[in-house]
Amino acid sequence: MDSATLLALQDIFRQIRVMQDWKAALDLLFITLRGEFVYDNVAVYLVAPKTDGLEVAYARAVGRGKTAEADAAWGESFANEVFAREKMMVEEPVSNGREADRLLQEYLLGFPLHIGSKLEGVIVFVRFGGPQYTESHIKLASLQAYWTTALIERKALQEARNELDSVQRQMRLQDDFVSTISHELRTPLGFIKGYSTSLLRQDTSWDEGTQREFLTIIDEEADRLTKLIEDMLESARLQSKTLQFKFSLVRLDALVRDVAQRVTTLHPQLKVSFDIGSLQPIRGDGIRLSQVFENLFSNALKYAPGSELTIGMHMTGQVLRVTFADRGEGIHEDFLPFLFERFYRVPGDRTETGTGLGLYICKQIILAHHGKIWVESVLGRGTTFIIELPPDPAA
Amino acid sequence: MAKRVLIVDDEPRYLRLLEANLRTEGYEVTTAQDGVQALEVFSAQPIDLVLLDVMMPRLDGFGVCQRLREFSNVPIVILTARGEEQDRVRGLDLGADDYLVKPFSATELLARVRAVLRRAQPPPETGQARFFTHDNLKIDFARAEVWVGEEPVSLSATEYRLLLQFAHNIGKILTSEDLLTSVWGAEYKNDKEILWVSIARLRQKLEEDAHNPRHIVTRSGLGYLMPPIEA
Repeated sequence: MDSATLLALQDIFRQIRVMQDWKAALDLLFITLRGEFVYDNVAVYLVAPKTDGLEVAYARAVGRGKTAEADAAWGESFANEVFAREKMMVEEPVSNGREADRLLQEYLLGFPLHIGSKLEGVIVFVRFGGPQYTESHIKLASLQAYWTTALIERKALQEARNELDSVQRQMRLQDDFVSTISHELRTPLGFIKGYSTSLLRQDTSWDEGTQREFLTIIDEEADRLTKLIEDMLESARLQSKTLQFKFSLVRLDALVRDVAQRVTTLHPQLKVSFDIGSLQPIRGDGIRLSQVFENLFSNALKYAPGSELTIGMHMTGQVLRVTFADRGEGIHEDFLPFLFERFYRVPGDRTETGTGLGLYICKQIILAHHGKIWVESVLGRGTTFIIELPPDPAA
Repeated sequence: MAKRVLIVDDEPRYLRLLEANLRTEGYEVTTAQDGVQALEVFSAQPIDLVLLDVMMPRLDGFGVCQRLREFSNVPIVILTARGEEQDRVRGLDLGADDYLVKPFSATELLARVRAVLRRAQPPPETGQARFFTHDNLKIDFARAEVWVGEEPVSLSATEYRLLLQFAHNIGKILTSEDLLTSVWGAEYKNDKEILWVSIARLRQKLEEDAHNPRHIVTRSGLGYLMPPIEA
């Protein structure tokens, strides 16, 4: 090999080392070396993780004869043989002297691919109609086999690292989740413990009004704790997708009017107006969708007290669009992107009890219907939640 | 005169809880709902004790503690919702005198407040000499002032009381329990973390090399002592 070739090779290997895609790297390697070592097709077979059999992972037709890379069947039985014997093999046809069949005669060369001590696959070269592989051809081919192994190993490492990254990310999320939960649970517990031990103090006496005030707080915080636990279970089920949805045809306008009636019976001060167009029933889970509406009502009551709530429902093209618009104080735009995250609560907004799970649950329910939910808000003008649902989530 | 307590918490229900209980004991109460407000309130009126929540918007409890310690030795009790060690140690490290883990009972709260205010009282005069010296360390008992060389050193009330224990017991090994009981109170006698952090802070302020202390020396497994100065 002259020094120009060596330099060219060095350059190629440098390029290959930094290439992200192992198949593109193999392409470059094979095409470059094809000047030195001529063949028609090359295929890499790797052990399939599930079946333990060999599967084509890479195939290229670079010469005459067969074309499509998918057509790697020519090497399969030979590949299995190389794999079984775990050593380099050459297979050449016995000539029958008829020139017409020459192109059908396969000259095969195969190498086992070891990663560490483990046999991971096979690389096979084929020449249709010869010529025979010389010793220097075999050396060059073995160099290519070596580089193929290195690239496959790198790919395996990359995959393992990506998997590890993702596991670590999940563990971090899990950690955050656990620490958030324990904080969220401690808050109502802290009030229950603090106010009840205040009432139990023997060295002081509280007037009746204060006693009532403390007991009311204890009662409310116990409710908050119950709701928190229910919401947590629900959100866990939604996240693990173990919550069963029962889809049937539902009339959303009837559904939202039902919920509105229940809510206004409990909170007569809430004024609700409707702007409902002509609607078709959609396929959905009525109970879960009611839950979404209840949540939006309860948010409006908490965060836009005294404001009228306008509920809109219209078909926009194929989708049904639902809007819940209040004229409350609005939410600062910095906080909007996080509203649907688990346990997120707008900072400083502690005057109202909440679990930070309501909107997360809403979003999961809407996603299960293949719909969308988002929020628009202008400070001082009000907040609008918008839901879009397809007529049939399965379609 | 009634002691004035500043309560800092972003949860109105905690403010109410703390305030109601403290008032029954005759304390005056001022409240703040976040760290920035706390600093403003603190500079506007004399405060004898700060009860400080950790997780708050704008400036958290650790931030407030750090700022306060830049100019004040007011007793600070950190209220932490997380009972984790790192949080408690961090608060003490920043110069807090004590901490209270949520959820806490009303009696626990009042006991801590009483203990911290008791430590903040100037220690009784012992009738000994007015000055104490230990190498380059000097204490003026009458004025409760401490110098290292020519430099005055600012100690919190707890740190000063801790230092006095050593000064009054030169050459004698004091166990963790001794120190916790005499400085903090009997209910603290197993609370070693609070002692470790306070000793570390005291060394930072008094020793030229905190890793190689000369004033407050550790006797492994036994306790601490201020060694006699060889003539």
